Amino acid sequence: MSVDGGQADGNDAVTTPKQPPSESTTATWTRLLTITSFWAIAVLLGLPIWWRTTTIHRASLPLQAMNAWADGQACRPEFPLKIAVESAYISAADAQHLLRTTQHAIDDHNEFSAHHLRLLLSESTRQNNDSQAMHPPDVAGLDDTNIALTIRLVPSSNGNTPRASLHPYDSVLDVFYTTNQLPSPSSTSSPLATFIALELQNLYGEEKAILAYLLSSSSSAAGIESPALSREVAESLAKRTTRSVKSAATYHLTFSLFTPNFQPSDWAIEAALEDHMTALLQALAPISNFTVDTQVQLYATFAPSIHEPEYDEHSKSWVLRREDLSGFINAAEWPLSPSIGEGPTVNFVLYVPSESRTPLLIKENGGDSWLLPQWGGVRILNLPTGNDKAHAASKRLTKEMLEGPFFTFSNQLLSLLGVPETPSSLPLRLSTLVRVRAASLLFSASSTLGSLARLTRALPSISIPDTVAESVDLTIAHLHRACDDLREGKFQTALENSRIADREVEKAFFEPAMVGQVYFPDEHKVAVYLPLLGPVAVPLIMAAVKEVRKAIARGKKSR
Amino acid sequence: MSFFYSILFFLWFFISHAHATSDYYERLLLRPLPQSALLASFNFRSNASSTSFDRQHFRYFPRSLGQILQHAHTKELHLRFSLGRWDDENWGTRPWNGTREGGTGVELWAWVEAETNEEANSRWLTLTNALSGLFCASLNFIDSTKTIRPAMTFEHEGKYTVKSEKNLHLLHGTLPHEVVCTENLTPFLKLLPCKGKAGISSLLDGHKLFDATWQTMAIDVRPVCKQDSLDCVLEMEQTVDMVLDIERSARPRDNPIPRPPPLEDVECDTSKPYNAEDTCFPIVKDSEPAWSVTGVFGRPIKGACPLAENYHSQSSGMICINVPPEREVIPSSELKYEERSHNGGFLRCYEPSAGADFDLTLPEQQLSIKAPIEQPRMYASRSFTGNGQERGGVRAVITNNSPESVSLSYLESLPWFMKLYLHTLRTTVKPFTLSTSTEEDAHSDLIREVYYRPAVDRHRGTHLELLLNIPPLSSLTLTYDFEKAILRYTEYPPDANRGFDVAPAVIRMLSSSNSSLHGGSTYLRTTSLLLPLPTPDFSMPYNVIILTSTVMALGFGSIFNLLVRRFVAADEVPALDSNELRSKVLGQIERLKRSFRGKGAVGKED
Repeated sequence: MSVDGGQADGNDAVTTPKQPPSESTTATWTRLLTITSFWAIAVLLGLPIWWRTTTIHRASLPLQAMNAWADGQACRPEFPLKIAVESAYISAADAQHLLRTTQHAIDDHNEFSAHHLRLLLSESTRQNNDSQAMHPPDVAGLDDTNIALTIRLVPSSNGNTPRASLHPYDSVLDVFYTTNQLPSPSSTSSPLATFIALELQNLYGEEKAILAYLLSSSSSAAGIESPALSREVAESLAKRTTRSVKSAATYHLTFSLFTPNFQPSDWAIEAALEDHMTALLQALAPISNFTVDTQVQLYATFAPSIHEPEYDEHSKSWVLRREDLSGFINAAEWPLSPSIGEGPTVNFVLYVPSESRTPLLIKENGGDSWLLPQWGGVRILNLPTGNDKAHAASKRLTKEMLEGPFFTFSNQLLSLLGVPETPSSLPLRLSTLVRVRAASLLFSASSTLGSLARLTRALPSISIPDTVAESVDLTIAHLHRACDDLREGKFQTALENSRIADREVEKAFFEPAMVGQVYFPDEHKVAVYLPLLGPVAVPLIMAAVKEVRKAIARGKKSR
Repeated sequence: MSFFYSILFFLWFFISHAHATSDYYERLLLRPLPQSALLASFNFRSNASSTSFDRQHFRYFPRSLGQILQHAHTKELHLRFSLGRWDDENWGTRPWNGTREGGTGVELWAWVEAETNEEANSRWLTLTNALSGLFCASLNFIDSTKTIRPAMTFEHEGKYTVKSEKNLHLLHGTLPHEVVCTENLTPFLKLLPCKGKAGISSLLDGHKLFDATWQTMAIDVRPVCKQDSLDCVLEMEQTVDMVLDIERSARPRDNPIPRPPPLEDVECDTSKPYNAEDTCFPIVKDSEPAWSVTGVFGRPIKGACPLAENYHSQSSGMICINVPPEREVIPSSELKYEERSHNGGFLRCYEPSAGADFDLTLPEQQLSIKAPIEQPRMYASRSFTGNGQERGGVRAVITNNSPESVSLSYLESLPWFMKLYLHTLRTTVKPFTLSTSTEEDAHSDLIREVYYRPAVDRHRGTHLELLLNIPPLSSLTLTYDFEKAILRYTEYPPDANRGFDVAPAVIRMLSSSNSSLHGGSTYLRTTSLLLPLPTPDFSMPYNVIILTSTVMALGFGSIFNLLVRRFVAADEVPALDSNELRSKVLGQIERLKRSFRGKGAVGKED
């Protein structure tokens, strides 16, 4: 720092090179301090600032819990179905005994541990027999909403017994028996008990198959053993799963009338909906909400990619080839855009062919309706041709003409929603759907959690906003609740909880702030950092190296 | 003068009569204009009863648009796609008195039902985003900087109860830069019940429509109620107006390059002194050119749209042509058609049957009476003044052509980077005739009201609305200055050097003696302006980084060295002579060689 002037004289300079005077210790110390303070600023202030301004915000996610859900370790879903037995004509003790033997018979045949039936005595039976017997121990926690099926035991003297009949619009199974078929108090089996067990197994056979398929196809349920399904059953179930629309809280149903002509341009849609859809949608209300809209579209032409219908002399009709059915909907020109708002749109298309091409049928089977997987259904309505009356009718489709198509549409809606085909009682089928929906949402939410965990691990440069962490926490909480509800047999709340979980995890996975990944190529970084850091770092490092060398030399000397 | 009004009134009467009874209605009006131009004015109306609309049962009203309106709680919607300029001086008054046209690009205004302003804004955003998807236009770019709430210029056309009117919010947005093209026409046609496959909509073709000198597509949705009743319908009106150049449109599509006609076909003006065997001055023809619907539009009308109620009822007709009675019009169709004549033969209407092509042919003809062109009562033009990259000015000239004084509202929606100095707003009036020009009127009552909402950088544009009075037969000049803001690096569009479009000003004539006749006010829009802003060099960030880094490194290096280095006299430094350096370098090389050889030897041994 201080310039030490030379004090040697000229003679010395010729013979030996002049040595600079030795530095004062204060000068050395000042230099050392200067360099360390520069370094201290760079390291203690510069680096943290750089670190803070360039790091990406990553909220911490409960990765372990997420993976546990994805691997199926966090939850073992069970489906305990409560079945009430109502028997006004049997004493409580007998009923209890029958219950026990039937339960044994059911449990003996059940190879699917997660799905089991629990028989309970119904409220009314208990009250009937209150005076005669003590409270059966098995009726605790019995409330009406969670009863899957009521078995009503009816004594019968004629006809072959035991026999069963299922109410089509009620979840009630009537079982007719004769008194001698009741199990004697000493025996452990009886024809009636075996019969009921068998009947129940038949009723819930399809549900079991669907749930078993769901468990086997989902990785999030790896820990649960499920009965092996035959290949045909598995295939048909796979087909049904791919066919059904993604589960959602709200569905938009769009009914469209298409015609290649200008007639018919009107239809009695309100009356038809009132007659054929309202009741069905009310029955489906516990599963999802539905909005309905309708439209009339004229001058609808086929897409150029499909073959025009050909005239078939044999059946005297115009035929569409099966491979063209998937391209029948002219997506480019027919205004079938999805409805606004959350939830998928299910389209039902009623196509009235022009008079010159009536009747229009499918070549292979002569049918007139088909299902487009996950999209909707199509029905061709062939109007009668020829007479004047038919001509007048073709202007406006009456309620009677719409009866057939709407029957088709309601069936298509059920199968698009994934409602099982058996048993014949609609409430039973719908309650099966609730269980299947709850389970599938649970699994899909779990596997999305797993994907999210994998994604955050695979891409260290994406930012994770706090909202994602919040959504993940909410998802896990609701998954826990859904899993508990399933175990307790509260399927409706389980469905609601798993739906919330699924919605939250989807929201987290598709968080827009996370999708747009900040990408700075390395060249870019070099171009930005090098011009500044290069010239600054070189003197700093060189000075430090020099000082370290000197210190080493000094150390050697002193030794 | 009043002749054209009578035609308009006539049409208006039939339209209003028709929409009271029918659910779908369409009409085409053809009107030849001077200089071989042809105005084609398409009008489609479809109704939906409010009950069926609320229950989402759509028949003629398109489902896609209906759902958007319901979702965004929009009660009344006006959407415009425009291109080109209407030539006021040659073509006369605008079709529909300018109520069915918009400024260049896209213009949208709507009455949105909402409790608060914030709710209205969020619904407006929903509306613009949904419409952007439906019409394949950049409507989603109408954000808060391009949205204003006009106070005087727009009035709703629909009927509302006093209670519901309180919650209505008018929002207005423009996109002057938007290029209107075929992708906007296709969804427009899809909204029609006949979808361009039958009826007059079969004439609408992107190649012709967007080749027009001037065209505007409009969609208007409004609730219409019968008098004194709650029986309301939601009416959607779709309008396409275009001015085609007959010669240009008649060019065959496979050979569209214009070529001069062969010399034999050119009629020479023999009165010219230089007329000779090899020189020819072509005669300016005074006769009406020959044209046909097929020739001009490239295809015939594919029959009537059978849904249109006027197809059955006794109305004025579907296709109307406005030519003098002596002009020969030859309709042709395979099936029967009806022909009616109104207004002393000046309006001829045709009613073709469904299912057969229909065509109109007009041969070349010399006419004694031309169809009168009504001069508009007002002209307007607007331009930039000033120079340089920092400041500029705007000068708008509005001319009152009528013998009575006119009051009008003038609406400007300026981008935020064009910062208006309101104190520089000046108006001067200059009468046409010399006698009064001596006073150079300092009319104090020229500007009666000013509605001004200043811009907020990056959040809000300027909204300037003036209520002006123009004395008869004089022109008003409005000037103001503005400052050009400097944008951020990322705010420039890819073609920054092109400039920025400034939306057209909207002028609405308020008082008008015969406004009751054609129901409503007259609108006029100026052309859009192109504002050049100072444009930076876009490699700037790297240059800035390198330059500042160099300066910083220089400063740092010198200060650091001053602090750290020890300064000694020059002769005290151990001299580094060249021999020593050489031996040092050679020694290093020798060492390197040895180490290489050593490694090689080890390798061989292995």
